[in-house]
Amino acid sequence: MTAIPWTVFVPELFLLGAALLIFLLDSVGFRWLEVFGGLATGGIVLALLAVLADLRFAPLAAFATVPANVVDAPWSQLGGSLVAVTSFGLVFQAIFLTSALLVSLSSLSRPTKEKGAAIFFGLLLFATLGMTLAALSADLIFLLLSIEITGISTYLLVGYTRRDPRGLEAAMKFYIIGALSAALSFFGASLLYAAYGTTSLYALGTTVVYLGHPPLDGATSIALLGYAFLIVGIGFKVTAVPFQAWAVDVYDGAPSDVSAFLAGGSKKVGLFGYFLVFLVPILFAGRLATAPPACPVGLCVTLHPDFGVPLQVIFGVMAIVTMTVGNVLALQQSEMKRMLAYSSISQAGYMLIGLAVATSPAIAGALLQIFAHVFMKAGAFLVVGAVAGLGIGSKIEDWKGVGLRYPYLGLSFAVMLLSLAGVPLTVGFVSKFVLFSAAVQAQGWFVWLAVAGLLNSALSVFYYARVLRVMYMERPEPRSAALPSGAVLGGSEPPLLALGGIGYGRAIAIGIAVVAIFAFGVYPQVVLSTFQNAANHLLQAL
Amino acid sequence: MLPILSLTLATLLIGTVATFFAGPRAKYVAAAVSGVFLAEIAAMFLMFSWPGIGVGPTHFAESETYAWIHVAWLHVNYTVGIDGISLILILLTGILQAVTVAYSWNETRQPGAWFGLVLLTCLGCFGVFVALDVLLFFVFWEVVLVPMFFLIGYWGGPRRRYAALKFFIYTHVASVTMLVALLVTAFYSHSPSLDFAGLQGSAATLAVPTQVILFLSLFFGFGVKFPIVPFHTWLPDAHVEAPTGGSVLLAGLLLKLGAYGLIRWGLEILPNGIAHAAPVLYAVAFASIVWGAGVSLAQRDLKRLVAYSSINHMGIVLLAIALDTSLGLLAAVLLMFAHGIVSALLFMVSGSVHHTFGSRDLASVNGITPTAPTLSTMTMAGALASLGLPALISFPAEFTALLATWDKLGYWVLIPLFTLVVTAAFYIWMMQRLLFGPPKGIPADAHDLPYAEAVAMGVLVILTVVYGILPNLLVHWITLSPVAGLP
Repeated sequence: MTAIPWTVFVPELFLLGAALLIFLLDSVGFRWLEVFGGLATGGIVLALLAVLADLRFAPLAAFATVPANVVDAPWSQLGGSLVAVTSFGLVFQAIFLTSALLVSLSSLSRPTKEKGAAIFFGLLLFATLGMTLAALSADLIFLLLSIEITGISTYLLVGYTRRDPRGLEAAMKFYIIGALSAALSFFGASLLYAAYGTTSLYALGTTVVYLGHPPLDGATSIALLGYAFLIVGIGFKVTAVPFQAWAVDVYDGAPSDVSAFLAGGSKKVGLFGYFLVFLVPILFAGRLATAPPACPVGLCVTLHPDFGVPLQVIFGVMAIVTMTVGNVLALQQSEMKRMLAYSSISQAGYMLIGLAVATSPAIAGALLQIFAHVFMKAGAFLVVGAVAGLGIGSKIEDWKGVGLRYPYLGLSFAVMLLSLAGVPLTVGFVSKFVLFSAAVQAQGWFVWLAVAGLLNSALSVFYYARVLRVMYMERPEPRSAALPSGAVLGGSEPPLLALGGIGYGRAIAIGIAVVAIFAFGVYPQVVLSTFQNAANHLLQAL
Repeated sequence: MLPILSLTLATLLIGTVATFFAGPRAKYVAAAVSGVFLAEIAAMFLMFSWPGIGVGPTHFAESETYAWIHVAWLHVNYTVGIDGISLILILLTGILQAVTVAYSWNETRQPGAWFGLVLLTCLGCFGVFVALDVLLFFVFWEVVLVPMFFLIGYWGGPRRRYAALKFFIYTHVASVTMLVALLVTAFYSHSPSLDFAGLQGSAATLAVPTQVILFLSLFFGFGVKFPIVPFHTWLPDAHVEAPTGGSVLLAGLLLKLGAYGLIRWGLEILPNGIAHAAPVLYAVAFASIVWGAGVSLAQRDLKRLVAYSSINHMGIVLLAIALDTSLGLLAAVLLMFAHGIVSALLFMVSGSVHHTFGSRDLASVNGITPTAPTLSTMTMAGALASLGLPALISFPAEFTALLATWDKLGYWVLIPLFTLVVTAAFYIWMMQRLLFGPPKGIPADAHDLPYAEAVAMGVLVILTVVYGILPNLLVHWITLSPVAGLP
């Protein structure tokens, strides 16, 4: 048995400390947005550095807080431990913290006297805390509780301004759906406990596979029902079709920074949950299964009686449906944020390919896709927030000429959209290339997942290209060019290089995203090898 | 050894960026970049023929490799290299870039963007011709699409947005198919890397039916660019709406990408595929040849006529490739070069006719020779070259192609032979109407060619004659190629 030292919680302690400090200052009447933002950003940066140290990145490895033998220890020796440290989880923590960092940096540029700054940053930290905790879990209840910490914090984040009725409506919708999703997940967990008397993910996953051969006994059928509830419950968090309907209204109604966090962060925690809950049964079924018969270029689907293969088919179909529905609906949107929300749904479909294929290359590809999505989608929502702050409407039509009038924002947005569309030399291209290559490499029917993904990314080019055309090829109407008098930047002339106009924090966050998109797009070797190691170790540990 | 290929890529990249930001002075930057590019091509020719450098039976001359993305299951390298085939096509790229810059010397709408996009297109084509890794090849392949989309969509004719989108959809779907087929080839055959050499070595281990399916997918992917009947409909639209410079690059270079891709990534990687799929290719090639020639006969728009005759000519290229003999490959490369030069000339002619006389309609503009003798000379040179007059560049190419077809297919050669007569017919008819008829539809202020356009076309006419009389200048390099199957 591997003992888990308390030091695995060092990143979480940084986040918790910063959050408590913010609430303490707020309660004694201290209201200074920059300090709150600075505290939050500082806490997140420290947590991120701690995670990177645990991932053993060269200059930081000396500060690693988790002993090397604990990381990626085999799960069969965990005993009843609630937590396990995997490099896979650490990578997810790094991704969560990166998206939180972008959002908190950008939120430094909020109006200084805004009410509720402490609430905003505190909740952001708590949501991040829930996500990083989830990434440590080895137990179903621990996982679901951590996801709920994130959930409750994000329901509040969506509606925290209390001024915008659309934000309140979105928060209410988010809350109700979130409660439903949690109820379904916990009910599924209770069914699993009833069937096998444990909530350990490893024990559950292996048991259901060993007992899952037909004919079904009573316990296994209850367990299968439990897994079905989990697919639905966590599916809401992932925004997988058909559980996606809430996401568009919520992303649209929430403040843009929060939308960035939801798309970049909290959705990924659901994906992590999917991976953690369902990888064990899939892998064990794969190890039990005999070698599939030869099959020319994946023209046939081989089904095994084991539980794992139907799971892969479920996730494969879910992936294809999610990416297609997201893309087709995105084509029809006239609101910028709704378009981005649907595009975010379709990206979730790509990520699910990793779970359906469930080989270490595919998991690495999915990680890369999740990582890329932080910069592309969170960055895009941040730009939308900045543009809204300049007094430009929320419809795509209102963005006429934005690319020419605000070169920095326009160019950044163009880069993010091109990356989402998967144009070469951006991280979005590399992630799709690796993910689809991994699906092809797995052979069999997985090739069709790659084909579906490629056709979808070809389809998605159209709605991204349309935005580019509006931004660069059409002239603004005189009315929409006027800035409202009380706008954030105060001045009346739109600055040519609109850095100062959107605030330095926001400009820096957007800049980081753009640089990351290009840097990891041209030279993905560092992150890809890290992700590949994480995936390999995960498969060995399980 | 001098990394000449990477150096050239770097020159073009820096040149493109500089041109974008040069504003009104963009044309001088673009001209300088074209000059350097041509000098570097000359260096490539020198190094290629230098004794003892890389010209062996199995290796690419001038190849460079650096690791790019390496994990256990995926080895992507930056690998570039050239052989005789790519060398000739690079020469074509250099020539067409220079003459396009010269022809559009007086471009006034957004000159920085115009010349930058022209250079970017040529950069992408050059990259496609030198890339020897699936991912690198695909990156350049896609790089070509974007500038052409904007060239058509911004500087094009009245239906430019429709044409640009159609071009984009057709070619994008095709490239996706191509990428999947290449990845399947690599991963199903457990290729050690995504390099050309790796694929070539491992693809033979695949089952023959799989190879045929993959080859046909690749054929679809590359064929749309050719274009092959029935996926050719984007081409007339794109050409008619494209600005002249765009048409020149489209016909001269972009169509060659498909043919080059089919040779390099289809023929050489899946030899069993072509061996079994050849009848399909023959059928498509004959259909394209006949369809292109027949539809050309019915065109009244000069540019549309040239566009359809491109379909006919590229059909002959496809036929020559499908023969899968050394003579056929030689003919295909010669034809590509010849068509690149001649179609560029003819598209320049139709562009000049359009903006000199306000129309390209062969029924309403007649007898231009007295008004514009230089333009008329260029038109005649282009038309004669295109119909295959001896001593002009197309003749040796078409003759080789017919000879190769006779060798392999016997009397089927009558089909392309007959369409050559049709081609001659519509070109002679065109010259008769446009050049020699009684003057009609000539505006009062019509003038002869501007200096820049005359220079651009003149260079192409000279090349047509030089390579027509001395085809060995090309044949020598192509047959030096270490590509398996060439004599």
